[in-house]
Amino acid sequence: MASASVYNPVGFDFSNQVRNQFLQEKGLPLPKATSTGTTIVGCLFKDGIVLGADTRATEGPIVADKNCEKIHYITDSIRCCGAGTAADTEFTTALISSNMELHALSTGRKPRVVTAMTMLKQMLFRYQGHVGAALVLGGVDATGPHLFTIHPHGSTDKLPYVTMGSGSLAAMAVFESAWKPNMTREEALDLVRDAIFAGIFNDLGSGSNVDACVITASHTEMLRNFVKPNERVEKEQRYKFRRGTTAWKKESIKDLIVSEEITPIGGQVEAMDVS
Amino acid sequence: MSIMEYNGGSVIAMVGKGCVAIGSDLRLGNQALTVATNFEKVFPVTDRIYLGMSGLATDVVTLREQFRFRVNMYTIKEERDIEPEAFAHLVSSTLYERRFGPYFIEPVMAGLWKTQKGEHKPYIAAADLIGCLNFAKDFVVAGTASEKLFGVAEGLWEPDLEPEDLFETISQTLLNGVDRDAFSGWGAIIHVITPDKVITRTLKGRMD
Amino acid sequence: MECSFALTGKDYVIVAADTTAARSIVKMKGDEDKIKTLGPHLLMAYSGEPGDTVQFAEYVERNIRLYQIRNLYPLRPASAASWIRRSLADSLRSRSPYSVNLLLGGYDTAAQTPSLYWIDYLGTIATVPFACHGYGSYFALSLLDRYHNPEGSLEEGLETLKRCIDEVAKRLVVSPGKYKVKVVDKDGIREIEL
Repeated sequence: MASASVYNPVGFDFSNQVRNQFLQEKGLPLPKATSTGTTIVGCLFKDGIVLGADTRATEGPIVADKNCEKIHYITDSIRCCGAGTAADTEFTTALISSNMELHALSTGRKPRVVTAMTMLKQMLFRYQGHVGAALVLGGVDATGPHLFTIHPHGSTDKLPYVTMGSGSLAAMAVFESAWKPNMTREEALDLVRDAIFAGIFNDLGSGSNVDACVITASHTEMLRNFVKPNERVEKEQRYKFRRGTTAWKKESIKDLIVSEEITPIGGQVEAMDVS
Repeated sequence: MSIMEYNGGSVIAMVGKGCVAIGSDLRLGNQALTVATNFEKVFPVTDRIYLGMSGLATDVVTLREQFRFRVNMYTIKEERDIEPEAFAHLVSSTLYERRFGPYFIEPVMAGLWKTQKGEHKPYIAAADLIGCLNFAKDFVVAGTASEKLFGVAEGLWEPDLEPEDLFETISQTLLNGVDRDAFSGWGAIIHVITPDKVITRTLKGRMD
Repeated sequence: MECSFALTGKDYVIVAADTTAARSIVKMKGDEDKIKTLGPHLLMAYSGEPGDTVQFAEYVERNIRLYQIRNLYPLRPASAASWIRRSLADSLRSRSPYSVNLLLGGYDTAAQTPSLYWIDYLGTIATVPFACHGYGSYFALSLLDRYHNPEGSLEEGLETLKRCIDEVAKRLVVSPGKYKVKVVDKDGIREIEL
């Protein structure tokens, strides 16, 4: 029988598995985890890498978050875009980021992109696709700029321009038509923006804004909400309710201000004799 | 019928001007049969943090106990109250730990955090059943009426609402949202958290 | 089919359960007591998978008794309910979970309040003014909604219980014949003949 313990072992906890299987056998289908339709891209240019992502998070047909962050930090000069099961992309990148920092500390060198790629693919392969993270990994290290895609089962590709997620086809079409080697930073950024736009406007799983990240040998620039093509206009009228609209039955107010009152008791307090 | 709909129920949280509000309906059901109409799904974590959970009721109770334990351990170790952001990550990692055998709940958190200057800033967050956090600047919802609540909240919410106005907006959103959901309703409860007090009100709602 | 009811009133809780023990289509026994006395002021009606029920009820009974022996005072109803719920929730995570549904009625002698808990095999718990388990709940809950009075006297409470039992006897296809009724209040537990 499970009991409260101060010690928690590391890694996943499977203790609910049996119960959930039992519930499933009772005829209650298990819910699907939140999966994000996404457009994420990356492309190589003259001085480094540009990564791009949309900012929509979905739960089935519902838009759960209109402005989420899909470009995750790995190290100062490596970033990773995530598509697939939202929680998995979030936690795998956080774990690898942590391990990369430890790796950098123990080797005393700036970590390489291949190292991050290898760590990610080994972890994803170990979980045989059950950790549903589809990633675009990009960065610049001592050996130059590198761009990878990593699939949920652990396979990887190294390409000059890549796309992933449900909007990958729309975005790839843009890359295929306009990508060329040795682009300038501006050209590359415009291309990435257009690729994400293609996802935002043509794929239902992608939407809202464009996030971008430009990584060069000397500098990494995170362009959060780089373009906001779907800004919501201010409501023309107020929809405030008149106070007292809602009928309520019971009210209790918890005061968080601690007020102290000192009441001296026992008459006059004489000064201590210090002579 | 999915496990998430077995007991019914919904939760919502909203941001106001220097304040936050969080609330839930009060129904506990067994599929279509209503068992209790006093089942609160929002619990205090610290003075200024509240946690709401919708989903399978047994897990709501189990996790309430587990979070109380973990927050107490944190308070003892750190010798201070937990901040909303730290608590959100505590919730998130507790759920992700069970990635391959999850608890069937969707948490919603609302709280105020103290800046260096000592003012209180609003904070809300929600997560899915395996702990993917969603930090929103406006509102978050969860539960069987979440689809309806998303729609109503999108229409009614506006920025910088004073505590009393926020109370009206969140109450109307919740009541009207759950009225269109067969598995939520039977009264509601709202907590408005302001820097100096927490106002808790039990709402009059439809009982059908 | 198994039916159990419970309702609170002014300073008392009534717990009632049918007395049939059935295996498949055969009624094996007509005078089974399915309400355990867990302490001087605590009653528990149990129903569910035959075998699991008695096993689990005895497990609870002995653990609650052990607590009283060790500490010289019994667990209060709220704490007992919480412990029982946790046992069920943990059992659900094991290879062979108990399929037991419970109604826990108690009188808190310290706070001088009656309390009633509805607990199902998943470990779901609800504090309620009245509760039922089994097919009877589809009939009885609506009656209790209409007639239950939280401030009612014991006579009034028994009257309401009788309405429920009669309704179930009249409308449920396979209704149980006899019920055992127990009451817990400040004076302790006693059985009542309807």
